[in-house]
Amino acid sequence: MKRRSWLVLLAVAVGLGLISTVLAGASYGRTAVPQTKKAGTINVLSLWGGSEKSAFLKVTDAFTAKTGIKIEYETARDFIPAIRTRLAAGNPPDVAIVPRPGYLASLAREGAFKDLRPLGFTPAYMKARYTSGWTSLGTVGGKLYGLAVKANSKSVIWYKPDSFAKYKFKVPKTWAQLIALTKAYKAKGLTPWGLGCGPGPSSWTLTDWFENIYARTAGPAKYDRLFAGKLKFTDASVLNALKLMTSILNNKYIAGGGVQGALGRTFVSGIGQVFGPNAKAQLYMEGGFVGGIALDQVNTKLKPGKTIAFFPWPTITPKYDSPLVGGGDLAAAFKDNADIRSFLKYLSTPAAGAIWVSTGAVISPNKQTKSSAYPNLLVRAEAKQVASAKIFRFDGSDLMPGALGDTWGAALQNVIQKPGNAKKIMSDFQKEADKAY
Amino acid sequence: MSQPPLPTPVLEPQEPPRGLGTFRAGERLQGLFFIAPALVVLGIFLVYPAYYTVRLAFYQGDFLYRFSNFLGLDNFKELLTDDPSFLDLSSFPPSGALVNNFRWVIFYIALSLAFGLGLAVLAVRVRYERVVKSIIFVPMAISATAVGLIWLFVYSPDLDNGILNAVIHGVDHGFDPIAWVGRPSTVNYALIFAYVWASTGFVMVVLSAAIKGIPTEIIEASRVDGAGEWAIFRRIMVPMLSLPIAVVTVWLFINVIKVFDIIYVMTGGGPGTSSRVIAYTMYKETFENGRGGYGAAVAVLMLLLVLPVMVLNVRRFRSERVTT
Repeated sequence: MKRRSWLVLLAVAVGLGLISTVLAGASYGRTAVPQTKKAGTINVLSLWGGSEKSAFLKVTDAFTAKTGIKIEYETARDFIPAIRTRLAAGNPPDVAIVPRPGYLASLAREGAFKDLRPLGFTPAYMKARYTSGWTSLGTVGGKLYGLAVKANSKSVIWYKPDSFAKYKFKVPKTWAQLIALTKAYKAKGLTPWGLGCGPGPSSWTLTDWFENIYARTAGPAKYDRLFAGKLKFTDASVLNALKLMTSILNNKYIAGGGVQGALGRTFVSGIGQVFGPNAKAQLYMEGGFVGGIALDQVNTKLKPGKTIAFFPWPTITPKYDSPLVGGGDLAAAFKDNADIRSFLKYLSTPAAGAIWVSTGAVISPNKQTKSSAYPNLLVRAEAKQVASAKIFRFDGSDLMPGALGDTWGAALQNVIQKPGNAKKIMSDFQKEADKAY
Repeated sequence: MSQPPLPTPVLEPQEPPRGLGTFRAGERLQGLFFIAPALVVLGIFLVYPAYYTVRLAFYQGDFLYRFSNFLGLDNFKELLTDDPSFLDLSSFPPSGALVNNFRWVIFYIALSLAFGLGLAVLAVRVRYERVVKSIIFVPMAISATAVGLIWLFVYSPDLDNGILNAVIHGVDHGFDPIAWVGRPSTVNYALIFAYVWASTGFVMVVLSAAIKGIPTEIIEASRVDGAGEWAIFRRIMVPMLSLPIAVVTVWLFINVIKVFDIIYVMTGGGPGTSSRVIAYTMYKETFENGRGGYGAAVAVLMLLLVLPVMVLNVRRFRSERVTT
């Protein structure tokens, strides 16, 4: 009998101990947020890795040296689910830097971000540093939520100057000349285009192709309406742009297994097709950031201007000229305190911009950043293109709400496989778009 | 090699199990306290989330995954009738994540079992059995992320790093490289094969242990009776291994219904949506598209698919002795 009562006592003790541990854990969870937010540390989340990350860390190191505030940088390649789950758990980062104004706007409308205007980012402050295009990208419903920290031109086509010299090719200025160049390469027995757009994560290279063609054939006004959800994707202008797109992106002109090959290849291996040590293709279409990746990761023997260079996207419909399609990343604040304010302020200074661009990985949207800060002629040319663009349009797929941009990329993957089905694919996609807009 | 069979223990007649009512209050309390730790942990990490998910499936849900905007069965209706990336019966053959998962069930289980059983039977006969088995087991110890990256290289359409294409090209020079994960027609099989590669080792180890449990007398007796090797395999080994095979099949089934990691790493559900499966759809809808309710509906469907097999398995564990 005595033994049994001991056992009961033991069981009670174990049970109570466990319950109190669980409760302690729960209450710790509740107080954990203010604890990690102790003065002097800012948690920053972004999808940057590789050269962009190391460039950004140089910027934050300079900030820490100046102010003593530490930056805890976190890379989340899949930033959408990372931010969503942390937000739902009540533990968002202090600052997030995201490349999609559309997603930023979705979260801002849900009330996730702090308005930056009362934090010192007044219209006058912004006007002195950014063109109105960049400010409006971060503005939702009259409030400022996003601060542009990085920019890229996506309206460039990469080529090999030495090969152009060898065959006496000229840089194409119009779509007809681009097609002629494509055919001329083919006639020399070379496959003209490299492309990496698959299987899942690299589908955005196709959305960039589409955007450049669409802005040049349908014009900036329709471009705005299409990506704002006000024009249907079944519109004739969309189908026309897809037709032009597949007149280059097809089995005849894509190296290494044609369309299917491209769908099995990532964006970076696509660069390798053109600029790698064992290159098989001649031309590559993607943004200014290709230069940094090609020089650093793909082939260190490349010589800017001699074996690698880019030309601006040619015009298609003369009256729409050559609008610049660009991308960029915006910083937004989930929380507000003095440290976060001074960090965001710092990001918008020319000093931060100069460190940022000196790495050759990115260009700065800040107009106070001097062009002499750019380390090589490729990025300098890109910065000049962005600064001098008469018409600037932000990457449309990144303006789409939530993750619709990924669905759009998947739809374009289907189009290049079956150009004849474009109409059906677009009407299916429109159904998805209707739900999202 | 194998030990003489243990004499089957004669079961002592036991007193009939007592119902809960026959325990005294003190005993009941004591029992409760002893299972309390497990109950609390299971309650917090299993029962509550499951309840939350099932309930959320009937709501639209907002960006914080709260219960907002009750929809009834609308999520399920949309999922099964109006979401071509999940189930598309309008064309033949039908496509979508559900159909892909069905493919996975058939080919993944069949191939894993065939390779696992084959290797288990053959490994017993080679001299360096342990070494051979360890090598085949190694992929099991590699994380799915690494498995995915390895096979992305294997399947690459560029001959420089795509081993598979390079090998075929080496044999037949006129061969045009195939982007195995870039084609909707091959991508699912390419993924399945990579996963089979990673699971075969486990199946082999379990079945090979079971083979060692088969009394040698039976095999020897059948040899004396004139049975060939194939007959021994077909008529003696396979029937005697039926229980471990069933257990492994259930394990493979549950594994395949929730397959996610390798698809996430290798294709992201692409090209297009052609390699999505149920679990990937759930992730995509919940965490990328922020449609908590819809994603929860996918999860509930997944649970419903696994449940019968789980029940079957638990019953078997209760009724039979598992000889693995």
